[in-house]
Amino acid sequence: MRISELLRTALRSLRANKKRSFLTIIGIMIGIAAVITIMGIGDGITQTMYDKFGNNTKQGQQSTEIYYLPDNENSTVNGFTQQDLTNIDNRFGGEIRRVRIEHATANLNTHAEIGDVTKNVTVSLLKKPTTAVKLVAGRTLSANELVTGQAVALMKLSLAKRQYGTAQNALGTTVTVGTTTYQIVGVYKDQAEYSLDGDQNKYGAGVLLPADLYYRGDAVNQGDTIKLTFDQGSDAGRISKRVAKYLKKNGTAANQGSYQYEDMEKELKQFSSQMSIITKFISFIAAISLFIAGIGVMNMMYISVSERTQEIGIRLAVGATPANIMMQFLVEAVALTVTGGLLGFLGGAGLAHLIAPLLSHSIGGGIHIHAHITMTAFLLAFGTSAAVGLIFGILPARQAANKNLIDILR
Amino acid sequence: MIKLTNINKYYRQGDHRFHVLHDINLTVDQGEFVAIIGESGSGKSTLINIIGFLDDDFTGTYFYEGQPIHDYTRKQFSRLRNQNVGFVFQNFKLIREATVAENVALPLLYAGQRRREVGERVTAVLDQVGLHGYENQLPQNMSGGQQQRVSIARAIIGHPHFLIADEPTGALDTETSQEIMNLFKSLNRDEGTTIIMVTHDPHVAAQCERVVKIIDGRVVSDSQGAQNADK
Repeated sequence: MRISELLRTALRSLRANKKRSFLTIIGIMIGIAAVITIMGIGDGITQTMYDKFGNNTKQGQQSTEIYYLPDNENSTVNGFTQQDLTNIDNRFGGEIRRVRIEHATANLNTHAEIGDVTKNVTVSLLKKPTTAVKLVAGRTLSANELVTGQAVALMKLSLAKRQYGTAQNALGTTVTVGTTTYQIVGVYKDQAEYSLDGDQNKYGAGVLLPADLYYRGDAVNQGDTIKLTFDQGSDAGRISKRVAKYLKKNGTAANQGSYQYEDMEKELKQFSSQMSIITKFISFIAAISLFIAGIGVMNMMYISVSERTQEIGIRLAVGATPANIMMQFLVEAVALTVTGGLLGFLGGAGLAHLIAPLLSHSIGGGIHIHAHITMTAFLLAFGTSAAVGLIFGILPARQAANKNLIDILR
Repeated sequence: MIKLTNINKYYRQGDHRFHVLHDINLTVDQGEFVAIIGESGSGKSTLINIIGFLDDDFTGTYFYEGQPIHDYTRKQFSRLRNQNVGFVFQNFKLIREATVAENVALPLLYAGQRRREVGERVTAVLDQVGLHGYENQLPQNMSGGQQQRVSIARAIIGHPHFLIADEPTGALDTETSQEIMNLFKSLNRDEGTTIIMVTHDPHVAAQCERVVKIIDGRVVSDSQGAQNADK
């Protein structure tokens, strides 16, 4: 008999017992849905972590950062000078594509003298005039002021109110950061510390200053962070570690602090292996539920076989081989479980997409987790459910095939 | 066509062994219309199960068109049944959830034909048994006589060499019985189909060309036995 005929026959007899078929399917559905949900969220978390902290392999090149931590917290010494960059270039030029000093421009934590009070404030730096802040008093910084390095600044509304009572009063006052004194020319409305996609919001800072003025003079050529850029495919983590080791010995400020490289990629790998252990554990529990569901399938198939003894007899009498009969019941069992598997896959995918936002909400901190349903997950759902059907369908199917025709027809 | 020699058949039930058929010798030629009659439990159904390749558990020799059936395996039986014999049962034995057309087409589907190839043949045999336009009916909605016609249509769809009918009129009233008998007779006369029928209705048996009587597993009379023995 042709496969298409077998399928048609199997589907018809499943339809004839809709309720029973559906109840049997539920077990498979729950098992598969559980696995898919866990896998989807687990992969999603891993993916999010890589996107956020990985070596940015997505953009076709990788980059890492090396930090300098001075031994004395209040030291003004800079860890990296142009000399260090030249040295790194000479020594690692073949392996590193580019190395430069990284100047942070967003949310720097620093001390500032506001009026006559010294406060901890966050400072963001502007290179171009911005329209991202909403002014409540004064004016914004002009392009000319930013390029020529005028000592002007914008202040956050809440900060201005606390210090001067109203936004209007803050205009014309000064704020001193480092050795430079800036005049406040505008006050802007407060913004959230984090943007919607989970990154720190540059414009949530307390004071906005011109970047060129902030990093003028020697400061341009010095800094506490360097950024190394690599071609895709190179072992960024290993090379960065060697650079850090080299700097510990030969860096210009090696005797006053330490150079550190944190291999996020390595930690991420550890993290994802921990995730996969959790995923495996939960999958194991799901496997137990699939096993129980499989027994349900077996039970239903045995009932079906004994109910349809007459039909089996008729089919054998008109020329069906025992193999035909076995295939018929096997196809029925597999059709049942695969339907459950596919429904479970859809349910699991939907559930993962529902849970992921809740999860990122409860984690907070601007971490956004998106459920990640892969082709592998689909194939897993399909394969597992088909396998359950085969394994638990084979015994009832064999029983059907081995029925004694004479006993049936008598 | 069919040649049974010294067929013995035992049923095992616990420690007991029932001797159901005793040294049966029977020959059936192409085109014959044979009735096998006897009491319930006389072994007549057992005998036609052997003839129709349903039962392979017997001793003795059975040659069907020269093939040694007694040596065949169960799997070979499936194919033999499919290609050579059509069955008509007392209680019709139709699949309840399947339509008339699906029931009738079964032998062809198991022979490996496609569903869309068999439609024409299904219509033709349904016409032949007088059920024009019943393709999409369900058997459970039909009368006994109609169901038996469906069953006959299924039996003859594969152009079998012979038909086995086990009490085909046993569940029908006299009038319907006669209609079914007329159908068998016309199949035998017009198509030359060999028919072997089990019955205990003397009225039905009287309409057959040849009557074989079985009592307690032995052939006690054969209306054409003399002629056959001569051959």
